[in-house]
Amino acid sequence: MKEVLKVEKLTKSFTLSKKQQKLENSDTRVKKAVSELSFSAYEGEIFGLLGPNGAGKTTTLRMLATLIKPDSGDAFIDGISVVKEPEKVRGKMGFLTSELKMEEFFTPNYLYDFFSDMHRIPNDIREKRKAQLFAKFGIDKFAEVRTANLSTGMKQKTSIVMSVVHDPDIIIFDEPTNGLDVITAKVVTDYLLELKAQGKTVILSTHIFSLVEKICDRVGIIIDGEMIMCGSIGELTKDKSLEDLFFDLYSQRKGENV
Amino acid sequence: MKNGAFVIFRKEMARFLGDKRLFFTTVILPGLMIFVMYNIMGTSLSDMVKDATDKEYDTYVVNMSSVAAETIETSGFSVHEIAVGESDSVTEKLKSKEADLLVVFPEDFDSVLANYSGKSEDVPAVEVYYNSANMSSSAAYSKITLVLDRVEQSVSNVFDINPDTENNVYDLATDEDTTGTMFASILPVLLLILIYSSCMAVAPESIAGEKERGTFAAMLLTPVPRGQIALGKVLALSLMALMGGISSCVGTILSMPALMGDTSEGSSGMSMSLTGYSAADYAGLIIIILSTVILFITIISVLSAYAKTVKEAATLVLPVMLIVMFAGFSSMYSSEAKAEIYWYLIPVLNSVQSLIGIFSRSADMLHIAVTVCMNIIVSALGMLLLRHMFNSEKIMFAR
Repeated sequence: MKEVLKVEKLTKSFTLSKKQQKLENSDTRVKKAVSELSFSAYEGEIFGLLGPNGAGKTTTLRMLATLIKPDSGDAFIDGISVVKEPEKVRGKMGFLTSELKMEEFFTPNYLYDFFSDMHRIPNDIREKRKAQLFAKFGIDKFAEVRTANLSTGMKQKTSIVMSVVHDPDIIIFDEPTNGLDVITAKVVTDYLLELKAQGKTVILSTHIFSLVEKICDRVGIIIDGEMIMCGSIGELTKDKSLEDLFFDLYSQRKGENV
Repeated sequence: MKNGAFVIFRKEMARFLGDKRLFFTTVILPGLMIFVMYNIMGTSLSDMVKDATDKEYDTYVVNMSSVAAETIETSGFSVHEIAVGESDSVTEKLKSKEADLLVVFPEDFDSVLANYSGKSEDVPAVEVYYNSANMSSSAAYSKITLVLDRVEQSVSNVFDINPDTENNVYDLATDEDTTGTMFASILPVLLLILIYSSCMAVAPESIAGEKERGTFAAMLLTPVPRGQIALGKVLALSLMALMGGISSCVGTILSMPALMGDTSEGSSGMSMSLTGYSAADYAGLIIIILSTVILFITIISVLSAYAKTVKEAATLVLPVMLIVMFAGFSSMYSSEAKAEIYWYLIPVLNSVQSLIGIFSRSADMLHIAVTVCMNIIVSALGMLLLRHMFNSEKIMFAR
């Protein structure tokens, strides 16, 4: 299988403000969020990233999405460096996170055209793809309604569509089903499987073990910014569930029972 | 396929023009408010002047002088001659604002004047009582002192200055010169403040607002270079601010005659008109305003990009407003543009000096060119800084 994403020793530290230092109960001002993280993801695969809050999952995804730069190490999407050629990477990658919001003044229809323009998608391709995506997510019904007036589920569907207007090879989803009702969550989950079937690479960060077990091909477990374990679901969950495995690893790492 | 800067520009304009409330408050309202406010102020001032001219002041006089009587009676004072003993009751009336003035001439005022030797110890004193808390009494006091001054001059007349008071033949300035001087001292500061206010109304919301709402990051995830995002934003915001600025300028210029008291309707003010300016003056005005708008927008955009929230951005741009006002007020102390070229190398001050030159009809094309070039250079540097800031995760994703 073709290696679409190759992460090599990604490292990222943040300088904490005094307020953050207090909140984190930390003696040092520098916090290492991600430490020499390496993994790969392949064509037609859903790769799950599991870890507790503050483990460094979101920081890793933001580095892959070129929103922030690593202190050291690099990641390659189809051989293109996120550090050296971030603009090229952005054209090949879609990123969905709750941090990113759609401008509430605009309608899904306008936003689709705007992001298509930003990705320089030719008009004919854009219209065809818009029709398909809007039909799939039921956006047709509210395409001309301002985003401010949409429900959480409608907004999430719109955000998903905006993140894939350019038909990227690799799509990064950070907690895509958070806060969604079961029906909308299923629509999203089905779409992830559909992307996989299309040969796309999906990187999925989530807390939901059942979701990872259900749709991910491989999983990486991150604790304290380090990749503790990485492999296929089958390999990792031979004699115990993913949830049990995760808690065992967490207890070993932290030296405390959960 | 379109250039990224154009796509951003179009999106910003769609947001601005599509939001009727935002468009109304940014473009229509400032001009309308200025027009209405200045007209109300102008009308009130005219009414006050008219009242002061037309009103007959309730004036009580003790020992009326035959020398001054005619002048006082024909100058808008309703005179009641009273005896010395009635003075106290009149002062009570003054205190209760029922009378405007009490003028007390010395008993032998006329004979002292007739025998005046020129020595200061022989000068008789006229006492004028008034109530400064009563506007009518205050105005009457100002008027009576002028009238008595005139009487004094007519008594000891040695020479006249400009005796032809009917026809204004001594002031050789044309109406255009007078208007130009007036505009040069008032309009630069007004224009700068109005333009800066327009820029403040749109830029923080578009940059700090998008950062705060999390919509900026979505743009940063696209392949459009950050420099193009900065350029598209600055150009769109400049156009919006320009619309607001033009609206304010139109409101100001249309209300100027009412504010200053235009002679065209027979009042006592001066004729205020912009028709005397040449096409070159207007062209200079437009490019100075345009380059100043771009400069202001760039400065406010940089400050807004640095801020985490719209509120913080508003706090950061306020001190710059004070600098702009301070620079603008320099026009009020001089109606002539500076000749030295270095004035035109200092941003903001250069715009003020160029505007003074244009409004006083003494614009130097070199000065205008240097001003525009400096504004563009500083704006370009600001845009580079903005691009750098859009690339900085510490600035764009600071918490």
